[in-house]
Amino acid sequence: MINFSQVTKRYPGGHEALSGVNLTIEKGELVFLTGHSGAGKSTLLKLIAAIERPTSGVLTVSGQNINRLSQRAVPYLRRNIGLVFQDHKLLFDRNLIENVVLPLDIAGFDRRESLKRARAVIDKVGLLNREKANPISLSGGEQQRLCIARALVGRPALLLADEPTGNLDTGYAADIMAMFRDFHQVGTTLVIATHDDRAIAALGGRILHLDHGKVGEMSA
Amino acid sequence: MIGWLRHQKHALTSSLHRLRMQPVATLLTALAMGVAISLPSGLYLMLGNLSRLAGDLPAQPEISVFLDAETSTAQKQAIAARLKQPDIAEARFAPKEEALAALSLAQDLSDITAGLTQNPLPDAWIVRPRATSRDDLAKVSDDLAKLPGVAETHLDSQWAERLQAALSIGRTGVWLLAGLFAIALVAISGNAIRAQVLSRRDEILVSRLIGATDRYIRRPFLYLGALQGLLGGLAAGGVLALAGWMLHTPVAHLASLYGSAFNLMPPTLIEITAVLGLTTLFGWLGAWISVARTLRQVGASR
Repeated sequence: MINFSQVTKRYPGGHEALSGVNLTIEKGELVFLTGHSGAGKSTLLKLIAAIERPTSGVLTVSGQNINRLSQRAVPYLRRNIGLVFQDHKLLFDRNLIENVVLPLDIAGFDRRESLKRARAVIDKVGLLNREKANPISLSGGEQQRLCIARALVGRPALLLADEPTGNLDTGYAADIMAMFRDFHQVGTTLVIATHDDRAIAALGGRILHLDHGKVGEMSA
Repeated sequence: MIGWLRHQKHALTSSLHRLRMQPVATLLTALAMGVAISLPSGLYLMLGNLSRLAGDLPAQPEISVFLDAETSTAQKQAIAARLKQPDIAEARFAPKEEALAALSLAQDLSDITAGLTQNPLPDAWIVRPRATSRDDLAKVSDDLAKLPGVAETHLDSQWAERLQAALSIGRTGVWLLAGLFAIALVAISGNAIRAQVLSRRDEILVSRLIGATDRYIRRPFLYLGALQGLLGGLAAGGVLALAGWMLHTPVAHLASLYGSAFNLMPPTLIEITAVLGLTTLFGWLGAWISVARTLRQVGASR
């Protein structure tokens, strides 16, 4: 599903976030990216979602060459990828369900069908009775679950999560990780950047350790 | 196709929602546009009314053919026959008695005409030629002047030509003004939309991350620009209606002093539609220019 071949990412200014990464992630895999902050975890995720482009090397995602992907094609790639952000990136000018329905609006789905799907996902993350609330009234953990609902509503084949439990206390973090395990079980490919060792231990899965832009495989 | 329609509908409703959420900003922008639009449109209407006024008066050039006092009956018949030629659209004989009567009717002159023992005025024909160009008219006039028994002819079209020339300068002025204010309109719209784009920066960035195309992001702003333009056009209509209402009475009064039933004409439905269509178009254009520029600033298009 995802294939890195000698991928290097150098930011303007010379900082090399990734150097010569070789990596293959199969469909349906659950992969954890670990490493200290600044090791290149976020950069790796950004490359997969074509938020950044590789400086050199070849990166393919779902059969598409990210190096050569045209700007016009990027939105269509992203519609197959669910993104979960550490800072949630929710929109506070609209209520909870409108946040979740946004990806479906963007993809041009029928509004009534979209709302139905959004409600189902909101139910799955345990926020159904709050669908009219403004996300600003939610706790950190609830905001993160809302962000996950938004990432999943389009039924993506691939879910990328950048420190999804970074700002949460242990109870919430365990909740979120349990949710990820459920998605993994229904066949979604997950790539999760985290330094939450307990979560990794609880879920199992493949662990990639990033150190100064280089990837090393670790056994669970 | 259905997806496309859905996108249009979604963009339109979200733009309408935006406008409703910011009534003061919407109103101010509409007013600024309305004032900018009402100036050239108002001038256009004024010129239209002036042209109509000029048309009410005998804008058709006339030739007055004055006869000699001693013209014989045979000569008069020859002249009458000449005036039946196809180059003459209409000819009316005005005997000198009629001319004197008309002169007596004019208030200030009645005293003078009452003292006359004999009618000093000549018989005349009031002739309306078929020709319209200045040269052709002059030719007909000269032609008639050469007929035996004709004392002189008077081509009465100069004032009409001058008025037409002045009106045509006015029309050019209207188009120049309209062009300038169209640019102002694009600028006002672009500026309002720029503020909108910047205030929705988060939404744009998030939408991009979850698969929005640039077209999807642009669309509601384009609708917003077009709607602002339309509102501006309607505001201009309001301004002009107010001006028309205020001018109605003084214009009618002035016209009555001239013994005319002249009244201000409102714009036609076609003119209203054209102005609203154009303001909508310029609002859209301003939004288009502004969105393209601002989106590039808001975040490199990834």
